[in-house]
Amino acid sequence: MNFSLDNRKVSLQPKTTQELARDILTASRTRAASRTRAEQSMAIELTGIVKRFGNFTALNGVTLAARDGEFLALLGPSGSGKTTLLRILAGLERPDSGTLRLQKQKVDAIRPSDRNVGLVFQHYALFRHMTVFNNIAFGLNVKRGDERLPKSEIRDRVLRLLKLVQLDNLQDRYPAQLSGGQRQRVALARALAVEPKLLLLDEPFGALDAKVRKELRRWLRGLHDSMGLTSIFVTHDQEEALELADRVVVMSQGKIEQIGTPAEIYDHPTSPFVYQFIGNSNRFECEVSRGQVWIGGQSFGGTGDVYPDGPAFAFVRPHDLEIRAAGSGYGIPATIRQVFTAGNLLRIELDLKDRKQIVEVEVDRSRSIGDLTSGRDVLLTPQRIKLFPATGAETPPMSEPVRRISQAG
Amino acid sequence: MTVLEGRITEPQIAGPSTAGGKEPAGRPRSSAITEPLPVRLLVIAIGLLFIGLFLVLPLIAVFAMALEKGLAAYLAAITESDALAAMRLTLTVAAIAVPLNLIFGVAAAWAIAKFEFAGKSLLITLVDLPFSVSPVVSGLIYVLLFGAHGWFGPWLKAHDIQIIFTVSGLVLATIFVTFPFIARELIPLMQEQGTEDEEAALVLGASGWQTFSRVTLPNIKWGLLYGVLLCNARAMGEFGAVSVVSGHIRGLTNTMPLHVEILYNEYDFVGAFAVASLLALLALVTLVGKSLLEWRFGRELAAARH
Repeated sequence: MNFSLDNRKVSLQPKTTQELARDILTASRTRAASRTRAEQSMAIELTGIVKRFGNFTALNGVTLAARDGEFLALLGPSGSGKTTLLRILAGLERPDSGTLRLQKQKVDAIRPSDRNVGLVFQHYALFRHMTVFNNIAFGLNVKRGDERLPKSEIRDRVLRLLKLVQLDNLQDRYPAQLSGGQRQRVALARALAVEPKLLLLDEPFGALDAKVRKELRRWLRGLHDSMGLTSIFVTHDQEEALELADRVVVMSQGKIEQIGTPAEIYDHPTSPFVYQFIGNSNRFECEVSRGQVWIGGQSFGGTGDVYPDGPAFAFVRPHDLEIRAAGSGYGIPATIRQVFTAGNLLRIELDLKDRKQIVEVEVDRSRSIGDLTSGRDVLLTPQRIKLFPATGAETPPMSEPVRRISQAG
Repeated sequence: MTVLEGRITEPQIAGPSTAGGKEPAGRPRSSAITEPLPVRLLVIAIGLLFIGLFLVLPLIAVFAMALEKGLAAYLAAITESDALAAMRLTLTVAAIAVPLNLIFGVAAAWAIAKFEFAGKSLLITLVDLPFSVSPVVSGLIYVLLFGAHGWFGPWLKAHDIQIIFTVSGLVLATIFVTFPFIARELIPLMQEQGTEDEEAALVLGASGWQTFSRVTLPNIKWGLLYGVLLCNARAMGEFGAVSVVSGHIRGLTNTMPLHVEILYNEYDFVGAFAVASLLALLALVTLVGKSLLEWRFGRELAAARH
């Protein structure tokens, strides 16, 4: 495994990180053997959670379950309620109704300090007057009575965690002297120090620049795999959610839109919101009749009689729209507005001719399409269509994409 | 294929090569937001004139008048028994009022900044109340409450407790008048710092007290020191409120400001200005202390406010 952190290439033997993580996990398991509570990662059950702030309903009946050791992403736009849900899990907010079970135990009335969860904040919330060492040791230093550990053991744990997050020689630094990525790793080590049963992360990489963000999130996934700790992280970055999570929970306006694996979410979205939120999309008003999809009087494929007749929306991804020269007969007429270069892709913005709508097409640069200039007339043909009836009712799950009937020429 | 290069490019990093209107090397670059030199000089001159006329000149006058009859007379005036008693009383009152206001101020700021509760805006208004009320009225409040003909007057008399015209009355009046200093310094500071640090501490398993002592207190220590300094300066220099509740019993219920008034009314100018010079000295020490704090810990003070 090679990690590149802070512009240094740090080569880690796979054994080292895993060994460390396993050490920590095994040590905690041994310690807990004498405790009455079963020592396993917590399963989570949320049922009908409702939370209001004044007139604003942040969560409107959320039901969710997470398995032991799962890496779950809460994905959604601002205001979808995902951070509120996380805070309810941590105990920082109380739901107005609904129940919350951590490992089968009702924890609604249990204070955050007693829930044994770890929370990593978007802006780290490191204690600025304490060194890195004392920050990480904080959770261990505030333990009271018989839970309190001897100083030497606290020291051991902190040093091992520092090694795990690869900040070995920085224990005497203050947070103000660290970079963003380093601070986030300290925040993570601090949360892990108390051996939580559940790890919660609130947009953990939101405040970091793109390169550091990419490196850290892959590292986090690796860490999760070694430790097997149930983790839930909140993000509005779909790329992050789809790349990291075992399952993604797409939220909008206080409700869960869809729960599924990243592949399920991307390939088989069950609502227009999910389709439009994940990846780019174009939406065409169309008509389903005689078992076909009709856009602007032209048929673009058979629906296989799965969909009812009537108005509908046809969603097409930008890379599923084919551009041909005008005059070749078949296709939605459009005029090129502007062409953008994005790496090895061309992004083409077009105005439709028969309605006021801007459509986006993505094309690989290497494919020659002919002359693409602003103002040129072209024809668009969708290759794959995702259909949603205009009534707004949910489509049957796992619906098949509509295939264009192959046309000659 | 003709393609238009689009908007998706690396952001331009502003540097000397991209800034327009470059000055010749060696001269400082004139910024577009700085006033021309004459305007700057005029504004600074007005500021200095104001400070000179209303602050420096009176201060110099105090010391000049105090030393008018020579050093020996000056020293005699400030070591006179009534003057010493006044100094002791001032110090005593401050020593009680400031720590109490410290506790009240921290508690009020903590409640206001970290919690939502009914009546919060009322509390904020009440904190500012002593500032908007005339000091004489502040003293009068206590006379009306605890004086012989006040609301609690008969009850106090029955229990043989005297508040007005005693040290306790002075302390109460001083507490009232100097209450806002520490609270007002801490409230915006704590509001800016937010509750995230405390939330992190709670989730890590800290109790309420541990959170306060290990996380909140260190975060506010410079603001606290600032507030204590200001509170102390006002506590020692308060005149109006204290005058009303004092009774002016020489050697017993006279603080330094009150003593200055008495001496002045007896035409003992040297004595009056001598004691006044001590108060002026206190003011200067406070200013220097404030500046020292800002100079040494300015960075941390600013950092604590994010």
